[in-house]
Amino acid sequence: MANKPDDAAAATSLSRKTPETRGISARQKLLAFSSLVLLIVVFSILSPNFFQPYNLIAIMLATAVNGVLAIGVTFVIITGGIDLSVGTMMTFTAVMAAQTVAVWNLPVFVGVLMALVAGTICGLASGIMVAKLKIPPFIATLGMSMLTKGLSLIIARSKPIYFTNAPSFSKISMGTMFPFIKDFQIPNAVIILFVLAILASFALNKTIFGRYTFAIGSNEEAARLSGINTDRWKIAVYAVNGLICGIAGILIASRLNSAQPALGQGYELDAIAAAVIGGTSLSGGEGTILGTIIGAFIMSTLTNGLRILSVPQEWQIVTTGIIIIFAVYMDILRKKR
Amino acid sequence: MKKRTVVLALAFMLIAASSLAAQQYYIPLISKGFQHQFWQAVKQGAMQAAKDFNVNITFEGPETEAMVDKQIDMLAAALAKKPNAIGFAALDSKAAIPYLQQAKTAGIPVIAFDSGVDSDIPLTTCATDNVAAAAYAADKMAELIGGAGEVAVIVHDQTSRTGIDRRDGFVNRIKSKYPKITIVSLQYGGGDQLKSTDLAKAIIQSHPNLKGFFGANEGSAIGVLNGVKEMGKVGKIVVVGYDSGAQQIAAVRSGEMAGAITQNPVGIGYKTVEYAIKALKGEKFPKFIDTGFYWYDKTNIDDPKISAVLYQ
Amino acid sequence: MAEPIIVVRNLSKAFPGVQALQNVQFDLCPGEVHTLVGENGAGKSTLMKILSGVYQRDSGEILIDGKPVEIHNPRAAQKLGISIIHQELNLMNHLTAAQNIYIGREPRYAGGFLLDERTLNAKAKELFDMLHMDFDPRTKVGELTIAKQQMVEIVKALSFNARVLIMDEPTSPLNEAEVEELFDIIRHLRSQGVGIIYISHRMDELFRISDRITVLRDGQYMGTSRVSETNLDQIISLMVGRKIDETARRIPKGKPGEVVLDVRNLNRGRLVKNVGFTVRKGEILGFAGLMGAGRTEVARAVFGADPIDSGEVYIKGKKITIRHPRDAAKHGIGYLSEDRKRYGLAVGMPVLDNICMTDLPAFMNAFGVLKPKKMQKTSAEQVKALSIKTPSLLQKVKFLSGGNQQKVVVAKWLVKNCDVLFFDEPTRGIDVGAKQEIYQLLNELASLGKAVVMISSELPEILRMSDRVVVMCEGRITGELDGATATEEAVMKLATQRETMVKTA
Ligand SMILES: Nc1ncnc2c1ncn2[C@@H]1O[C@H](COP(=O)(O)OP(=O)(O)OP(=O)(O)O)[C@@H](O)[C@H]1O
Ligand SMILES: [Mg+2]
Repeated sequence: MANKPDDAAAATSLSRKTPETRGISARQKLLAFSSLVLLIVVFSILSPNFFQPYNLIAIMLATAVNGVLAIGVTFVIITGGIDLSVGTMMTFTAVMAAQTVAVWNLPVFVGVLMALVAGTICGLASGIMVAKLKIPPFIATLGMSMLTKGLSLIIARSKPIYFTNAPSFSKISMGTMFPFIKDFQIPNAVIILFVLAILASFALNKTIFGRYTFAIGSNEEAARLSGINTDRWKIAVYAVNGLICGIAGILIASRLNSAQPALGQGYELDAIAAAVIGGTSLSGGEGTILGTIIGAFIMSTLTNGLRILSVPQEWQIVTTGIIIIFAVYMDILRKKR
Repeated sequence: MKKRTVVLALAFMLIAASSLAAQQYYIPLISKGFQHQFWQAVKQGAMQAAKDFNVNITFEGPETEAMVDKQIDMLAAALAKKPNAIGFAALDSKAAIPYLQQAKTAGIPVIAFDSGVDSDIPLTTCATDNVAAAAYAADKMAELIGGAGEVAVIVHDQTSRTGIDRRDGFVNRIKSKYPKITIVSLQYGGGDQLKSTDLAKAIIQSHPNLKGFFGANEGSAIGVLNGVKEMGKVGKIVVVGYDSGAQQIAAVRSGEMAGAITQNPVGIGYKTVEYAIKALKGEKFPKFIDTGFYWYDKTNIDDPKISAVLYQ
Repeated sequence: MAEPIIVVRNLSKAFPGVQALQNVQFDLCPGEVHTLVGENGAGKSTLMKILSGVYQRDSGEILIDGKPVEIHNPRAAQKLGISIIHQELNLMNHLTAAQNIYIGREPRYAGGFLLDERTLNAKAKELFDMLHMDFDPRTKVGELTIAKQQMVEIVKALSFNARVLIMDEPTSPLNEAEVEELFDIIRHLRSQGVGIIYISHRMDELFRISDRITVLRDGQYMGTSRVSETNLDQIISLMVGRKIDETARRIPKGKPGEVVLDVRNLNRGRLVKNVGFTVRKGEILGFAGLMGAGRTEVARAVFGADPIDSGEVYIKGKKITIRHPRDAAKHGIGYLSEDRKRYGLAVGMPVLDNICMTDLPAFMNAFGVLKPKKMQKTSAEQVKALSIKTPSLLQKVKFLSGGNQQKVVVAKWLVKNCDVLFFDEPTRGIDVGAKQEIYQLLNELASLGKAVVMISSELPEILRMSDRVVVMCEGRITGELDGATATEEAVMKLATQRETMVKTA
């Protein structure tokens, strides 16, 4: 505003909040992280059994599956959608892997591939229902959840399928790539979680895919008017989520050394909770993978810690509920400031 | 910071609530569930034993019996607490093997309870002899329908030990002892009342001459009962149940249900703790501890011996 | 004149219940600014949306460089060199300014998969610099003021280097200086041969920037003329079919009454500092100032929409506490938001529900059941009184033209019988005819004994309507003027009286 410098300066200095912007989001992540640290410190003080290599590994292992699911659902939530089928989709992929390996006697890697493909196809189907058929995500994925649950039971004939013929399958989750430290052998499931988190974070922040994920969640109409094929990208997001459910399916099947067809329902809520605790906004446009991982760890640490303290189970549930509400409220407070 | 104080306060509250006496034995029991009344009764027995023998116990189980991985997380956390012994009712024995192996290596005795653990690591299993109990249900059924006719069965599942044993106990007894009775339908309802109700109605619909109906656990039995009621067949179809619970007890009392087998869940819990302590003391005992069962009907339901093991 | 880039012939478009365009013609030459005017709902935006691939025409033809074309989607329009700034902001609030500008065309590497964020920011920065805008391209759009957001939209449209640039009411959220800046940009583009289609309801702008003016009325083509061959009266009468006096000042009826609202030492954040003012019964108090001077913030704070840091509010001499808009409404204070889409309307709901929303209890019987007849009657009255153009009371608000949406907001607060009414930019995006109606309405409200506070960035409007003018700058009240004698110069002087200047002076 070259001709009227005063006005320009006035207008600039008055634009709300501008200079602090990036500081806030960095501090936000730090705070989420510090509440996890705080939790760990408190439990460590209260019980000598908590901060032990064995227990830390138990916590990480308990986080792996939920963490992976939460990563997938974070993408969907950022677009402003929701996926209620991640739990049963995971089970479905696990059953498909088991069917391939244990029933059809194919090699383990074919089973893994099968799980990933099955997940991707389910995700694609959800995506098409949401983007093309305009079915609200809540309903479309609720349907998908029942569908995959039913299919799992049918394929597995309602009983677990065991990987008795493929002992190496359990190594995927329970083996370790780094057997060097004697008492602290991090299972592969945990390593897979972290690697996936890094990849997902990269995809979300550095790729076109991630950018359009945010764009759609922030203002789908604006994205469409900018010439983005929003339908196609939305389908892609659901498909990626399906693929990630496939990974979770392999992890859980490998951990249990079996595909449990009845398992899975309810796991979607844990995954969504982890994402939301980690600062992902259910109305879309906001979220980070790091936050989601921290959210998942907060949940599993809390559960484990309360168990270690021998808190009666009923009170464990109450406490977890309170802390989840509290964590999300803290996040809201932070954003308000 | 406000948050910190709140978290600390909470934590101290919890600690206070669960203050541990120093030298007591600590025995965690990991069950297959905890909300269900049956498990609450097991817990009650275990608590009684804990009091009688002056030991410390905790009792935990996953929210639903499908959550195999959650149960394993519980087992892992229990092991992290360096317990003296563990009571365990596996949802899926194979998935739990690595952890039981750990327990064995660490010298922690494992006592299996209820449906038990499919492994030789547990020193013993405290459970109902389901085969015998279900066979007894078959005898009662035969007696009630006059030794001939069509009967149907709803079982909770075909994978768990209890499901298999109760099914086989009932079916084999009918086949071997009552040739005039035919089992026209045998279905699995997942132990879910609603699903079992729907199943029962479908079965009654397609078998109008049905004379007896057996539900192999609480959920199945309630489902059968609902099905019979909704199809207007009360009094025409003899319903035999299994386990207890408020609804079943009321139905038996009113005569809508002819009678039911009850396990002795309180006894299961009690014996599990009792034998864990025996193991810690180095005592010898058999591989299977029968915790007993009872038949109850309108006539004996208020018998103190029975009402003690019926859970609401 | 050069060959036209765009020629539109016999174009028609209907929406359910509305013939938005009927046999409309239009053309645009390179290097000209062709302005499109017409009342709210005349079909201006619809025509532009067809040209930019958002809507498809029903019949007629579009020629580009003499060749007939189909514009199936926004991307096709971009490919044809047509770029548009939509009337309603179309930004992704969670993305940064730079990310918004280049959305869909991000610089990439590694086979087109990875984002080159550095180049992206550098390119955006370059654009901002070129337009003399001191601006961090990495700022999230949601944290910008509406004016700044509009600047981002403009920069985005420019970044296409399009041959045709459509601007649908780009100036409505801008202040005078920013408008001037925009005009400089437009003149620059024009000199480079870009064809510009310009839409505005600010009549004074038309003759400053246009080469030709085309008038639409009710979806019909009314005529095109060169600016040099026409005048304002002619255009307005083509638009509304009657003459309108644009300048007459308001003559207050009788003396203003007792003080109704008294605000003292109000503070909230950086944009409300020690603000105090009074409004009397039957008076219109104008709030002048530049965009971002804190006027909206004052209104929101008084209305309880934002928590205050300190301050006192008296209604008819009685001190009251307002913690929530509910409290304000209870004490008879109403607020008409400037950002109707975000705060003023439930755009997915019908006109009827929106109008009755603020005063639902008045439409309920003893059991809390709504009385549809009464709602219908009231909203029909309002639609008639404000001549809101809608096919029915059940039309969803989002399908109304921008100006008619604004009228719905006004109607909504008129239903609720308030003593004090804050109008925040009540005529933004409203056509001249409707503006007169709103002015008349404000006058009527005042003569009915209401206290009216009118926030406006349009100086002529402030001078015309206010009995008293309060001027703000950087969150402080810098002065108060008498409405009858205030001048544009006097107001501008106060509006730019920055705190630093006061101190050094
Ligand atoms: N998507 C839609 N569905 C239904 N009706 C619509 C839709 N879009 C516009 N209309 C109607 O078409 C008519 C023309 O609207 P348009 O937005 O083109 O007006 P405008 O001239 O831009 O008005 P304004 O100056 O208020 O922005 C209006 O009556 C409007 O209600
Ligand atoms: Mg318009």
